[in-house]
This record gives sequence, C-alpha cells and structure tokens, in this order.
Amino acid sequence: MKGNRRRATNAIEVDFVARMLVLGFLAGMAALFFVYLKNQQHAVGNKSRLVEQELHEYEARNMALEARITSMTSRGYLQRKLDEGYIHLESVRDTAVARITPPVSAEPDGVLRTASREPGSGVIAGSPQRVLRR
Amino acid sequence: MKGTTGRIGVVCALLVLVFTTFAWRLIHLQILQYDYFSKLAAQKHLRCQPIPAKRGRILDRNGEELAVNIPVRTVTADGTHIKDPAALAAVAAPFLEMPVEELAGKLSPAVKGKRPYVVIKKEVAEEKAQAMIAAMEKARLRGLYLEEGSVRSYPNGEMLCHVLGFVDHSGHGIDGIEKSFDSELRGQDGFRWIEHDRKGLEIVTYRGQEQLPENGSDIRLTIDMGLQAIVEKEVDAAFRDLHPAGAAAILVDPQTGEILAMANRPNFDPNKFNEAKPEEMRNRIITDMYEPGSVFKIVVASAALNEGIVSDRTRIFCENGLFSYGGKTVKDHHKAGDMSLAEILQYSSNIGSAKMSLMMKDQKYYDYVRAFGFGEKTGIPLQGEISGLVNPPRRWDMLTKTRMAFGQSVSVTPIQMIMAMSSVGNAGKLMKPRLVLSRGEGSTPSETEAPRQIVREETSKFIANALQKVVSKEGTAPLAAIDGFTVAGKTGTAQKVGPHGGYLNDRYIVSFAGFFPAEHPRLTGLVIVDDAKIGAAANYGGLVAAPIFAHIGGRAARYLDIQQENAVAQANASSNQASNR
Repeated sequence: MKGNRRRATNAIEVDFVARMLVLGFLAGMAALFFVYLKNQQHAVGNKSRLVEQELHEYEARNMALEARITSMTSRGYLQRKLDEGYIHLESVRDTAVARITPPVSAEPDGVLRTASREPGSGVIAGSPQRVLRR
Repeated sequence: MKGTTGRIGVVCALLVLVFTTFAWRLIHLQILQYDYFSKLAAQKHLRCQPIPAKRGRILDRNGEELAVNIPVRTVTADGTHIKDPAALAAVAAPFLEMPVEELAGKLSPAVKGKRPYVVIKKEVAEEKAQAMIAAMEKARLRGLYLEEGSVRSYPNGEMLCHVLGFVDHSGHGIDGIEKSFDSELRGQDGFRWIEHDRKGLEIVTYRGQEQLPENGSDIRLTIDMGLQAIVEKEVDAAFRDLHPAGAAAILVDPQTGEILAMANRPNFDPNKFNEAKPEEMRNRIITDMYEPGSVFKIVVASAALNEGIVSDRTRIFCENGLFSYGGKTVKDHHKAGDMSLAEILQYSSNIGSAKMSLMMKDQKYYDYVRAFGFGEKTGIPLQGEISGLVNPPRRWDMLTKTRMAFGQSVSVTPIQMIMAMSSVGNAGKLMKPRLVLSRGEGSTPSETEAPRQIVREETSKFIANALQKVVSKEGTAPLAAIDGFTVAGKTGTAQKVGPHGGYLNDRYIVSFAGFFPAEHPRLTGLVIVDDAKIGAAANYGGLVAAPIFAHIGGRAARYLDIQQENAVAQANASSNQASNR
C-alpha cells in the first residue's frame, strides 16, 4: 500500500525547478538592469539637454555682449563720445611717428593706414630716407 | 460525467471567445490601425523643433562690423501651467519692463481659457529673459517660457544706411545689401525632431532626425569705414550749412571700380527704419537722375579727340561768349575768342563744347555717350538703380546735340557720372562699380570684371591733363585743390528741371567730379549738392561742391597715407642722386 502511494505521488524535478528559478531570476535581473540602464540613459539625456541649454545660453549671452562691444566701439558711438568730450583726439605729428613699414606710394594695392600726416608740412613724410634715418 | 464535460466545454469556449476578442482587438490596434494611432501619439509627443540659422554679418573691407545680430527672446505664457497669475506677474513684470497689472491682465485670460500659447512680449534682451527665468525658479513659479530670436543691429546708426539697407521684423532684407544678398545672408534654418514629456521637456533619448542650420554668409563690402566717416562728416556739414534738398558724395578707386564710400542726405537710422520718411530712404546716387551740367563736357571732349575731329592744337572760335544756334543763344561765363580743347574744359566753355558736338556725326556722338555708360544701369548690386535718360538721335531736335555737350537734355545718375570720370583717370577704361569684396568666410575676393575701353589711353591722358587746369587758379574749381596733390576734375552747375518741365529760376544742382593724384589716380570723388539755399550768385559747382571735394580728398589722402607728389618727386630725385654717385 505504502509502495503504491509513493508511486501515485508526482515526483518534483528539483533540478528543473532550480534551473527555472535561476533562469527566472536572471531574466528578472536582466529586466531590472534594462530598466536601470534606461533610467540612466534618460538621466544622462536630461543632463546633456541641460548642458546643451546652458551652452546655448552662454552662446547667446556671448553674442549679446559682442553686439554690445561692437556698438560701443562703433564709429558713430565714438564720434558721439568725441563730440560730447568724453574722449579726446590727440594729433600726432609725422616726426613723432615711428614707422614700422614704409608707406607705399600711389599704387593699386588696397588700403593703407600707417599714420596720418599733416598736409603741407613740407617734410618728405614717411619717405624711405626718413625711415632709414630712424 | 457527461454534464461535467459539457460545462467544461462551455467554459473553455467562453474563454476562447474572450481571448479571441482580446487578440482581435490587439490585432486591430497594433496592426490594422497602427498608422492612425502612431500618428496620434506622434502628434501628442513629437515636435519638429526649428533651429534658426544665424544671419550673416555685413563687414567693411577691413572687417569692421556694419550689421550684426543681437540675440533676443520672445516671452510666451502657457495658461495650463500657471497656478497663480498675480504672483507670477509680480515676479516677472520688472524683467519685462511692464506694469504688474498689465502682465497680470495678459496672464489671467490665458489661465481662465487654458490657452497653452500666449505671446507676452517680443524682443526681450537675453540677460533680462534669463534673469526672469532664474527669479521664477527661485519663487517656484512656472508658466512663462522663452523662445529664441534675434534682431538686426546696425552699430553705426545712420552711417552708410543707404548701402546697408535694413531687414523687416521677420528678418527678411528689405533694402540695400540686406535685400540684394538676402538669400546668402539668411542661410538655411535647420530642424530637429524631438519627443517631449508631459511638461514639454525634450526626451533626449528619443531625439529623432536632425538637420543642422546653415548659417548665412558674411558679406564683405568694398566700403572703407574710415573713408566713409570722412565723407559722412563732410556731407553732413554741407547739408547743415547749405540747407539743400539733398546732398551726396561718393569715393571710388578708379583702377578697380571699388566703391570706397557712399553717402546721401537726407538719411535715416536703419535701427529705426519704421520712423524714416520715404525721401530719407532714397539712395540718390543710384535712384535719382539729374542733368549733370558741365561735368558732361568730358564726354564730348573725349569723343571728339578720340575720333581725331579735334587735336591738342585745334582752336575753336567761341564767339566771344555769345553763340546763336537754332534760334537760341548759348552763353559762356568766360568770354573768349579762340580756345583750345584744354581751354574749353578749363574755362568750361559751353560754346566750345557745343561746337565740338556739331563737328561729330549724331550716331557717333550718341555711341560715345552710351560707351561712357550713360543710359544704362551700371549693375551695382543695390535695389532701385535707374538707367538715366539718353535719347537716341532720332528723338533729337536741332538743339539736343549742342545741349548735351554741356550736360543738358541728358539725365544721368551720380554713379554713372563718377564711373565715367573714373574712366578718364583709368586710361580710358570704364570699370563696373564693385560694392562687394567677398561673400562668406574664407572666400576669395571676387575678380574685377573686364573693363570697357572707351577711348585710347592717350586721349584720356590728354583730358586728364586738361582737367588738372580746371583745378588751377585760372580754372573754374581752384577750391577743389588738395594740398600736396595735383587734382583733375570738372565742375557742374545745372539748373533744376521743374516738375512740369522747363528750368526753375535760381535753383541749381551743383557738382564736382575729380580724381587725384592726377598722374596715378588713387581716388575718384563726386560731390553733388541739390538746391543749396545760398543765393544764385554763389551757387556754382566750383564754389559749393569743389571745396567739399577738397576737404574729403585731403582727409582721405591722409587716412590712406597717399604719398604727396612733391614728396614722391623729392624721394625719386634723392634716389637718382644716390645711384649716380
């Protein structure tokens, strides 16, 4: 009778259950890890968005400051300040100018600006000889 | 037993039915209506975020900024995010420079109507907008958001306004270089598909397709702001002292055709273009035509000399100052008998010029006028250029030819006139005016277009020498002389044409066009003063426009450091002596 009862009982396959449990655990861990990674990804994405935004704000601020500098150093602004007496032009005579490069005579070579000269001063202004003397 | 099996069968059938229904519903949602629902989801969470391109700057030839962008923000409100409009208004109003009540008045309807997008204020400065957001975060308030934008700024204000033009509120070029090169300056906006959360914040992980903006190219002009400032100051002084209807001046490099400075009065501030009057916005140098008067004598003189009809030894009888032709009398200010070609130009003889024109065939004379560029647009890249008015010979009456010789019965634009004068200083080669040096960073300067050879080099040299005498004590424009330089030029004094035809009494357009140093010209200049209020006795090109030219030329020469001709001569003599030794 005893032997019959034992035969009627379903045998539990421990190794199969254990394998399933391990697999389930691994799958669960993988899923949790996936969720963790996804969260991290979102967090990093959010951080990069904030950094992008910050960079953008700095860029905009920089542009605004550049525009302000341009406006405050523009000819119109400086002329106005000159007229109002906030800045003052000091004339420099040719004899007080040390030329690094000799001025170029009338040639179609673009724009030249080494120094200003007083007209009719009678000196050989900026001529090669003068440069050599210096 | 049979009953039990039957019940189990029914339950199973019901379960199968239920699961089949669910399965069908899933198929319906996921497969059959996939497009519809994915579109619906996308509408809720997907958005195409525009990335605006930056408009290119406009620079002068030395890189000085003439038109720049200032970043600004548009402040918008989302009524669904605002819980306490009064508190939000109290925090934000000082940054938006508006009364608290006014802001609260804008916010309350948005909250009540649950409107998600209400524009509160445009063009808020970047710093103020950022400070407002910081203050809101500190007060734990939300509901106001910022949108990107920029406004165009012209740091020099009115200076060079007619060349630069301006843009409208949507950033499209309306006038000047801003209009002519709008597509290049504007660039191409980019975009980015983003997915956002419930709060409207981007979920970066799901960032979609993206196209970066292509910023607009910088445009580098041939204008030199140093010279422009000189010209502006002189034209300003003339406009203030002489009270004319208009005044204009232009400087050109005769060898390349590059426009170095261009100024008109009246003018306007492109930063406040909506306050400008139409007459202030007109670039008279290209949009207005006028009878040039005696400056035009260079055309008939060049043509007659080039065709061999006259020579340097030819003497023309100038009728002692009174010449009747075609029932009308032509008068000379300087009464003389015989005059050479050089003297005709020096004393600005109308009779001599008229007689020279009569020596030429109509068509040939007309061809020369057209060859000098009159009657056609110069092709300067600015809006509104006109071609002037030169009638063909078939429309001439008996007097037209003689009148044209001294600048009547023909209408030209100032830009045509200065390019024609430049050709005299450029060995008879007519250049196309250039206003743009290069487009875009790193681009090479555009090539100068092949010039048109109008007259032989010897002819233009002869005319240039004759024009030097105009700026002598005996000539009509001694006041155009520039210390240290020889100047060649010609005065023009033309009666104004009335709106209903005929000439207006005592109202003149006076001008002076010239170049220097006469031997190797570096600069050509033209000054025009329209209807100066100084009395007819003093209203002459030689008395009004010539001194302005001299002031501009003198300062420009010093600015460019053009070596004075006596200095050049002395330097050459010294070097010759040194080499002989």
